Amino acid sequence: MTRLLKSLRDGIGFDTMLIILALSYLFAFAGLPLLYNVIISFQQVDVFSLGTLFHPPAGFDNYVSVFTDPLARRVLINTIIFTLGSVALQFSLGFALALFFHQNFPGSTWLRGLFLAGWILPGLVVGVLWNWLLSGDFGVINHMLRSWGLIDSAIFWRSDTAWSLYAVMLANIWYGTPFNMILLSVGLAAIPNDLYEAAELDGANAWQRFWTITLPMMRSTIGAVLALGVIFTLQQFDLFAAITQGGPAGSSTVAQYWSWELSFREFDFGRGAVISVCMIIVVLFVSLIYVRSTRAETRL
Amino acid sequence: MTDQIEIIDVQKHYGAFHALKDINLTIPKGQFVALVGPSGCGKSTLLRSIAGLEEISEGTLRIAGEVVNGVPPRRRDLAMVFQSYALYPHMNVRDNLTYALRLKGVSKAERARQADEVARVIGLENLLERYPRELSGGQRQRVAMGRAIIRQPKAFLFDEPLSNLDAALRVRMRKEVRALHDRIGATSVYVTHDQIEAMTMADHVVVLRAGVIEQQGAPMTLYDRPANQFVAGFIGSPAMNFVPAAIGPDGRSVVLELAGNPALPIDIDATPGRQVIAGLRPEHLEIGAPDAEGAATITIGMIERTGSSCYLFAEGESELIIVTGGETQITPGDRIGLSIAPRQVHLFDRDSTVSLRE
Repeated sequence: MTRLLKSLRDGIGFDTMLIILALSYLFAFAGLPLLYNVIISFQQVDVFSLGTLFHPPAGFDNYVSVFTDPLARRVLINTIIFTLGSVALQFSLGFALALFFHQNFPGSTWLRGLFLAGWILPGLVVGVLWNWLLSGDFGVINHMLRSWGLIDSAIFWRSDTAWSLYAVMLANIWYGTPFNMILLSVGLAAIPNDLYEAAELDGANAWQRFWTITLPMMRSTIGAVLALGVIFTLQQFDLFAAITQGGPAGSSTVAQYWSWELSFREFDFGRGAVISVCMIIVVLFVSLIYVRSTRAETRL
Repeated sequence: MTDQIEIIDVQKHYGAFHALKDINLTIPKGQFVALVGPSGCGKSTLLRSIAGLEEISEGTLRIAGEVVNGVPPRRRDLAMVFQSYALYPHMNVRDNLTYALRLKGVSKAERARQADEVARVIGLENLLERYPRELSGGQRQRVAMGRAIIRQPKAFLFDEPLSNLDAALRVRMRKEVRALHDRIGATSVYVTHDQIEAMTMADHVVVLRAGVIEQQGAPMTLYDRPANQFVAGFIGSPAMNFVPAAIGPDGRSVVLELAGNPALPIDIDATPGRQVIAGLRPEHLEIGAPDAEGAATITIGMIERTGSSCYLFAEGESELIIVTGGETQITPGDRIGLSIAPRQVHLFDRDSTVSLRE
């Protein structure tokens, strides 16, 4: 007994205890809900049976119902456009900014810090901010476009089915770019300067140095940033809630928002769970890329 | 012999800091020049200025007859070996070697042929497919050298290339670098803080301090005829002994400010009574009987034995070091007489530290 106590205080027992603590936390607050989510995607759950732990089995009914829903196609396309568009633009803008601030002109560190201001705001605040900017009647963006003569009449960004998804995407790109920039800045800073000097003496111009030194040296960072970008974009909910609520007519509904709507607006938890299960599979796949990228990083 | 690199009245300022002052240096084609000096003396700045990685503030820099002030490094046709080697970590040895050729648009087959050839010269034939992280320090060093020679540049620049190697490998690479230089008839500028490297490898040694060239010349010239106390102390190991002294009343001897005021004969004409610093190389001091005429008598405080030789340290505050054979029977506490050939006595002005020898 005393030996066990001693081991717990100072020894392998203590280490095991720490690991068990962390693992049980993960299991209780991430593992169980995830598992339960998968289970209820195969069950009939409605607002009346919500209180019970086990529900009547439904087989693949929920899955069939979700995939044959008239909205499913729209949501899938929206999710793909939103995710790829956001990630592509966040990444390119973030990379461009990171390269810009890497030139180390006077004040570059300060300015780079200021760019993070957008990123630390809560998503709902950013949503409200962009609501004002995008507003059809008195929005700054319409005002600017009109005064430059690019448009004649106001565009109702949030209530026009052709624009609503892009309105949220615009806000999301603004929101996510600083994060991309910071991660890519770190990657750029990690490239030793003498590699550039060696390349310069070897005859490489700025463009060649970028393609043959910067990009290949950044490969693992880029992989990680893109993977995180996809994961975070698939998590984006606040902006949809604040700007369009998925509307009008589902024109800006994406998978994560639809899942929430089905579960908590229509109390159709089975169908809501189906969408989350599909998203888990996608995120799991992307996480694998992320893990692989970060592993390659330690190898260099 | 044409001059490959000419540096004329070059100045370099970093803000208020004057890093290079009135640098004048001419490097003929095929010469191996070492830039040597303590850290912060400007030797690396000078090398980087030649490479074009630093801009010079004033003066003229010519490479193969052409003024290259303001010409970017990639148009100077120089190859540099960095202290860190600066190998491209994401390329294998073959791609590292042929990077410059690839930029020039040399065909793949030709690149492979040249890589094989250079790999043979530097002894890396079996490592062409390896990545830098899979190589030892010495192998990386060779790749860095290979990357430089494959280009057949106008000159090679070395920035302390051996300082990351262990002592034994450093001695071997010293010989190899020099042999390679001779074999390909290159012009080389070699920066080091190690005066032994400079002395053993170079045809021409440039000693820098605080951005100023203190002296330049053939290695043995610097050793035999140092222009001032700094160069005298920097070249040679262990360093030269400096003893405050005054010229004797006859003008043919120097009276050392050591216990007993011993006098040593000199072959330099100097005003009697002039305050000087006498420079005596540890390896030039000869040990004799104590209290003899024309010899300084000291007491030994400590002995360091390296095997091949012994370093004798004088007792007291003079910090005098004498190098003698490894078999010496002298023990701490012994009194010995020191004498030296007159032509091996160096005298420096007490104020300006400039040598009294012309």
